[in-house]
Amino acid sequence: MRIVIAEDDALLREGLSLLLRAEGLDVVATTDSPTTFLAAVDEFRPDVAIVDVRMPPTHTDEGIVAAVEARRRRPDLAVLVLSAYVEQAFATDLLAGGAVRLGYLLKERVGRVEEFLAALHRVADGGTAIDPEVVGQLFARSRPDSTLSRLSARERDVLALMAEGLGNGAIAQRLFVTDGAVHKHIRSIFAKLGLAPDDRADRRVTAVLRYLEDAQRRSR
Amino acid sequence: MPRRDVAGVSAAAGQLGPQLWRAARRYLRRRLRMSVDAIEHLVGGLGTSILALAAVLLLVLVALASVVGIGLAMVPSAAKAVRLAANRERARLSRWDRDLPLPPAVPTSLRDVLRDPWFRRECVFVGIHGTVGFGLGVLGLSLPISAVQSLLFPLYYWMLPPEAGGPGIVVWRIDGLPDALVVGLIGVGWLAATVALNPPMAGLQALPGRRLLAPPRDVDMSLRIAELTATRAAALDAHAVELRRIERSLHDGAQNRLVAVTVLLGAARRAMLRDPARAVEILDRAHDSAELALAELRSVVRGILPPVLDDRGLAAALDGLAAGCGLPCTVRVDVPGRCAASVEATAYFVVAEALTNVARHSGAASASVTVRRHADRLHVSVVDDGRGGADEGRGSGIGGIRRRVEAHDGRFTLTSPPGGPTTLLVELPCGS
Repeated sequence: MRIVIAEDDALLREGLSLLLRAEGLDVVATTDSPTTFLAAVDEFRPDVAIVDVRMPPTHTDEGIVAAVEARRRRPDLAVLVLSAYVEQAFATDLLAGGAVRLGYLLKERVGRVEEFLAALHRVADGGTAIDPEVVGQLFARSRPDSTLSRLSARERDVLALMAEGLGNGAIAQRLFVTDGAVHKHIRSIFAKLGLAPDDRADRRVTAVLRYLEDAQRRSR
Repeated sequence: MPRRDVAGVSAAAGQLGPQLWRAARRYLRRRLRMSVDAIEHLVGGLGTSILALAAVLLLVLVALASVVGIGLAMVPSAAKAVRLAANRERARLSRWDRDLPLPPAVPTSLRDVLRDPWFRRECVFVGIHGTVGFGLGVLGLSLPISAVQSLLFPLYYWMLPPEAGGPGIVVWRIDGLPDALVVGLIGVGWLAATVALNPPMAGLQALPGRRLLAPPRDVDMSLRIAELTATRAAALDAHAVELRRIERSLHDGAQNRLVAVTVLLGAARRAMLRDPARAVEILDRAHDSAELALAELRSVVRGILPPVLDDRGLAAALDGLAAGCGLPCTVRVDVPGRCAASVEATAYFVVAEALTNVARHSGAASASVTVRRHADRLHVSVVDDGRGGADEGRGSGIGGIRRRVEAHDGRFTLTSPPGGPTTLLVELPCGS
């Protein structure tokens, strides 16, 4: 797996590449600004880009903009965005073009190396990795009249884990229930959201997106 | 000097001489300083009176043209010229003592101009200041010049032909040193006249401005309200800027360092199983990063409200700043008692920001900080011997200083000619 890192904090950049190289991953380039990042994407044709949200010059959402641009240039590029804090607007900006090969994680998740690597591989393999914090905020913000409120507590748990990108088996393990129970919950979620019952991954992603859109609409 | 000593002349005759002498010297020194100040004021007043005179001439011209009928269109422009002259005098008087707020812009239509209460009073003002004020300025300037000329005359009289007379009113023939010494004596008279007359003349010259350029009574309050609204907005703005600065320094500093710690700890834990020696190495880096995070947190906290300011007061806090600013810096603080905490904090930040600028941009070899309290105003000055040319527009923290100071109803001036030196003056109401 060929990886390009875009992170303007030198210490963090080195820490990340140190960690990834120690795991035997191929970090082909580390960059510290949107322009050098995009140049590296063109030059090294990586499989995955790990991008910090705040980068020079204004330290606001340059990372998101750069990630979106990189995906426009290379639609098959997997992008994992790291952020110091959860910003709903950034998440929805990012996911607007589809959630395939996309991750949005809080920076400190990197410290949980096993989970971070799992998320990285999931994104590289075409999956999704949305930070539990993002999903949690969606639920916290949902109003009584929104679609979200029609889900049961258990269904929300399942949806949160789906949003993180986990498969049925992994969700069952986390929640200490059987695969069959998870399957039942997912069918119920799809039904309540008006999605055709289907186990395909993009159907799951649609469910997550439905929430993100819902949250964005309400925050306007 | 205690009164008792003067009464008991016989008993204390021996001590009285020196004491009287000292008192006289003190009195003289005070009078001398007053008259030097007065000369400065008179010269400044002379400058504005020339503007006023020009405005008067313009008014007369416009009035004459109006009689013919073509001048009415020029009235608003003439009013603008009058306002300009008046505002220069307002600025001068504000620098001297009392604040004279600036009026709103001159109305554009003829009818509004003629109705403007400010404009009418300003017309009277330019009339008086352009004539009497001008005369007083010329007189106030020529008195000390004559004094100097006459006093120095005995030194250079031999260079002039005897029939040329002396300086000023001396029109008679100068034959030899005794005559020249008489002229010198006249110089002493001029000096005495300068010391005695200049201060009241400066006051007299400023009188029309003080009376006529102050806001009309009913306008005064609304101006003050407008000013307070503006400074309040500036205070909120300064506050928001400050919060953003803190957020930024927390995010870029401590938070990133701590994220690095978690990343390195994670890496170390993974390495532990494969290669313990490598794990120790990574743990070392995590340790360094944690210490960096602490150091940065400390500096952010110090930036919010330095603990030393709270514990030890302004003098000690400023000493600390000077010691850490990277160039030789003298600090003189003469503030009896404490000011309000917010005022002290503002003074502290002004000095901190100013010294940062000095160290970063001025190329100065040394700087000096002075803080004094006069009545209920705190005066802060920061002077450096650098290359000058500091400019508020160019984003160095000067705009921030101004906002903070104005938020406290204070005053801020920066003089920084190219080549230096740069002087930053701040005046804050003490609020206690």
